[in-house]
This record gives sequence, C-alpha cells and structure tokens, in this order.
Amino acid sequence: MISTGINGLDEMLGSGIPEGSRVLYSLEPGVDGQLFMISTLSCALAKKRSCLVVLPNTTVDAFRNDVLAMYGPRPDLALVPVTFFDSVDWERIQKGSKSPEGRARELQARIRKLCREQDVDVVFVYFDLLNEEFGTDAATAIFTSVQEMEREKKITLVIEHLNLEGQQLLDHVIRDLNFDLVLAIRSSFRPFPQFNYFTIVHISWADLPVRSVPFIIGEGRIIPYIPRIVVTGPASSGKSTFVLNAADDGHSVDRRAQEGGMTTVALDFGWIRWKDFDITLFGTPGQERFDSLLPSYLGHAMGALLIIDATNADQLPRARLLIEMIARRRIPFAVAVNKSDLPGTLDPRLIRRTLAIGDEIPLYQISATRKSDVNFVLESLVDSITQFRY
Amino acid sequence: MYTYKSGIAQIDEASGGFDAGTNILILAPPMSAADQLAYALTKPVPGEYAIVLSTNERAAEVVDAFKVAGADKRFTGVIDAITKSSTPGITDTARLMFVSSPTDLTGIGIKFSNMVETIFEGNFADGETGLFPPPIRFCVNSISTLLMYRRLEVLYQFLHVLTAKLKKIEGVGVYILNNESFDEKTLSLIKQLMTCVIEVKVEQNVNLMRIRGLPGVPGDWMKFSVSKGQVTILP
Repeated sequence: MISTGINGLDEMLGSGIPEGSRVLYSLEPGVDGQLFMISTLSCALAKKRSCLVVLPNTTVDAFRNDVLAMYGPRPDLALVPVTFFDSVDWERIQKGSKSPEGRARELQARIRKLCREQDVDVVFVYFDLLNEEFGTDAATAIFTSVQEMEREKKITLVIEHLNLEGQQLLDHVIRDLNFDLVLAIRSSFRPFPQFNYFTIVHISWADLPVRSVPFIIGEGRIIPYIPRIVVTGPASSGKSTFVLNAADDGHSVDRRAQEGGMTTVALDFGWIRWKDFDITLFGTPGQERFDSLLPSYLGHAMGALLIIDATNADQLPRARLLIEMIARRRIPFAVAVNKSDLPGTLDPRLIRRTLAIGDEIPLYQISATRKSDVNFVLESLVDSITQFRY
Repeated sequence: MYTYKSGIAQIDEASGGFDAGTNILILAPPMSAADQLAYALTKPVPGEYAIVLSTNERAAEVVDAFKVAGADKRFTGVIDAITKSSTPGITDTARLMFVSSPTDLTGIGIKFSNMVETIFEGNFADGETGLFPPPIRFCVNSISTLLMYRRLEVLYQFLHVLTAKLKKIEGVGVYILNNESFDEKTLSLIKQLMTCVIEVKVEQNVNLMRIRGLPGVPGDWMKFSVSKGQVTILP
C-alpha cells in the first residue's frame, strides 16, 4: 500500500492506496489542496519508492521552492532522488512535434522511458496543462497506457487536477477512465469563515460511502478535522469528566450546584488530536432547563455521544428523551454507560430496552475516569463518523 | 450593501459608484490608458483593500503604480505571475504572493483565496478599519495575457468561478482585455461574465471611454485623462 501521507485518510481508505491504482486529487479552484499530492509524494519517497513527478507548468526549482515556502521543509523531497519531467522538458516536446497526436506520442514514449530507466513505482502528474492540450481522455491515456505496458511493475498513478468542470468530470473519470480513488478537495467559500473539506467520491477497493471531512492545514500537513462532537447526557452522568479526560486541552465551566455537587453551566470544550484528526468536543449541561439549546449544539455536529450513569436507573427516562433529540439529527451516535466499574450497575440489556436502542447503536460500558476507556469510545465514534451512511 | 466609489465624478453622481459584486471589463486597445484607468478604479480608498493579479508587470511595478496613484500600499496586495519564472526562490508575504507563471491557474486561485482570507481575518495590514465584510477591489491587469497561455473555454470557466467568488465576498472586480487581439467570440464570452463594460479608444491622441451596464450613467463616448490615479472626464 502507498500512504497518502495523511493518517486519518489512510485509515478511511483501509491503510492507504493499493499499488497499481489510479488516483485523482480533484481541486476546486481556489482551494488550498496542493498538499494532498505533496504529502503522498513525500510519503512515497520516505518509503524509498522511486517517483516520477510530471509538472509541465513549472520548473523543478520553482516547484521545490514552492513546496518549501508553502509547507515547510520536507526532507524526503530534498534528499531523496526524484525524477522530474518539468516545463522545460514539456516545452521541448511542444517545439519538437507540431501535431497534438505527435506530442502525445512523444510524451508517452518519454514517460515510459523514464519509468523503465528509473524503475518508477509511482507517477505523480500535475494534469492541468496536459488536460487542456490533449483533453481528459487522451491525456489520461498517456499515463494509463504506460501503466498497462509495465503491468508487472504495478506503477501507481496519482493525478492532481484543477477541476473547472465539477461533478461532470468526476463522473466521467469514475465511469469511463476506471480510476480507483477519486478525492475531491473543496471549499465552502463562504465569505467567512472559509472552510475546506475533502470528499471521497469513489473508491474501488472498499465499500465506503461518499464521505466529506473538513480539514485544516497545520505544521505543513493536512489535518482532518471533526469540528463538533456533542457529548450529552443527564446531569451528573460524567460528561465533564469524559470531555476533560479525552482532551489534550480542555476547559470546563462547572460551578457548584444548589444540590451540592458540581454542574456544567454552559459548555465544556475539549480539543483532541486523535489519529491525525483534530476534534472539538462540546459537552452540554445535563439539566432539562438547558434542553432548548441542545438542537443548536447538535445543529452542526458530526457525531454525538450520550453518557449515562450505570448506577442510576432514574436517569434512563431522561436519557431516552435526549436520544430522541439526537436521533432527529440523523448523525452517528453512541451510548457510553459510565461508572461501570462501580458495584450495582444496570444490566446493558435493560438499558437498551429502556432507551429503545437497537444493536446498531454501540453501547460501551466505561469509566470516564479511565483514559483508555475514553479513548476507545472516541476511536469507535470517529470510525462511525467516517463510515456513516447519511 | 457597500458601494465602491469610482473616483469619477460623473459616475459617482449618477449611480453612486459601483455596487458590491460588480465585475467591470475594460476593453481597450494597446497603448491606451487602460492600465492607468484600471488602477485608478482599483485604488483602495481608506477602509478598503485592493488585490491585483498581475500577469504582465512585476509586483514591484504594480506597487509603484499604486503609490503614484496615491494608494496606501499597506492595503494593496499583488499576486505576481511574472517574477517567479526568473526568481524561483522568491517567497510570499501577506501582501505579495507569487505564482510560477500565468498558466498556473491552480496557484492563482489558491493565492487569491489566501489573500482574501488574510484580509477577512484582519491580518493583512496594520491599521485595519474594521468594516465587515472588508471592501476589496480586485484587478486582473490583463486577461489578454492569460488568454495567450490558456484556452478560452478553460479561462472562461476559471473566470466564472473567480467573478462568482468576488460577488460572494461583496468585492468589485476590474479586468482589462485587449479588444484588438481577440475575435468577437472571445470578447462576447468574456463579456458574459461581467456586469459592466468600459470601452476605451484613442483618437488623435485623446483617450475616450464609453460605459455600458451602469444604471444612470449615459453610454456616450467621453474624453478622459488619468493622472496620479485620478480620472478626469474632459469637456
């Protein structure tokens, strides 16, 4: 497998891209998505794969400088030998052949020669100008024909393309050009804030639903981003403990309640870097008087976790009410039965029956004070979010 | 909604200026005052920002031209598609960004988004004025150059996205196109993306312009001159 260089994405793809695949990174205009291709290239080089980079729109020096300036030093790209076909080579072909067919033939011969001479494992293509010169089908065929001619070698093809045609192009690439992975990199481009996300539009080797995941760029890499997971549940079920234990950096707004214990009066926040995902947890207050706020919290959530106290059967009717509110949002959710390490806990079957949840809803018996339990629940929930069929 | 003053008394008095989201095409022959006119329309007044996509001048030259026009350079950004081909090591700043060549539409789109984002985040310049959304004037100092490198259909699609984004951010766009070097089909396709067209011609060393698509502004030919960023309609 070839890693995309983005752990969270690799996880979703089933540990990366199989050798010999055809991959398209489709960039919507204006979206800073060039790091996808660069991350994959960088990762392939780190794994000592022989790489050919085809960049007809720029020179090798400008490319290296761009990568350095935009995404910081990438030692693999600087130190490991890479084979390039750049704008100087492309101009030579343009001058040498008058007809597009002649240029396509020459380019194909050149790519094949480079693949053989350098024993290339992965070909990275900046497709934009070639697409314009030859059209999508003919430009793709230049590289897929080399893949086929060198079938035993299982050369992987990774293309980055500025997609000005939208979904029509993606459909064509999937239907007619047999691409194995099509990843669309898009942007909301609202006036502010602008957020970017990637969509796995098509994958040939796994049964994965079309899934969009926001991402941010930080420390020179792509970080998949789950902007909101709501952690809710009846009062004193352990939500704040869960959020604070889960978070690398968290903030609780607990205050002393009239009843004597501590209670959340607004929201608990937690920020986590989990399996390369950046996640923000929103812990809600548990009292009924805050219920009118819950739909707003759930409004843009990508997932929800209901926490109940395993030792307190009186909470179950309230928990059921909260489940009904979550279920209306049609987002992945799970139930964590907290304090399961204490004596006198409720039977999980009784909990399922009382809450009217089927086996499709995960139910975890945990102690929110144990980090390993909290991590396990989060991992399962992130998996559910990335696999969920909306 | 914000209204952008054109700086031309006859236009501002008749229509109030350019509505947010207006895209203006300047159709002009070579050696006319089109660049000066475009820069005069793009020059940011206090509280505004300007972004120039330069396909035929280096960033330094654009900044100088804006300086001469009386613009505050702290509020002027340039996406330079020229310098990088000769100086690959040049690096971006918040206000000066570089793409490898005018063919690099991917890079141009990204730099445009990044610059707009920096402005929206308030990190573009000291002395931000706090208007929201921040008024942004955008100029492409030659669509003609882009057309030399890219096919019309591709460029049309790209400009379609760019002009739509400019509308969303409530900016105003000014685009120069040489009307003597391209056929009617090209001109007509590019015009489709615009809300207003300013035609420029030169007769006996006198610049004339005609404005179409601006409500309240008559579409007659008017003599004009541009000096230090100020457009004057001559009698």
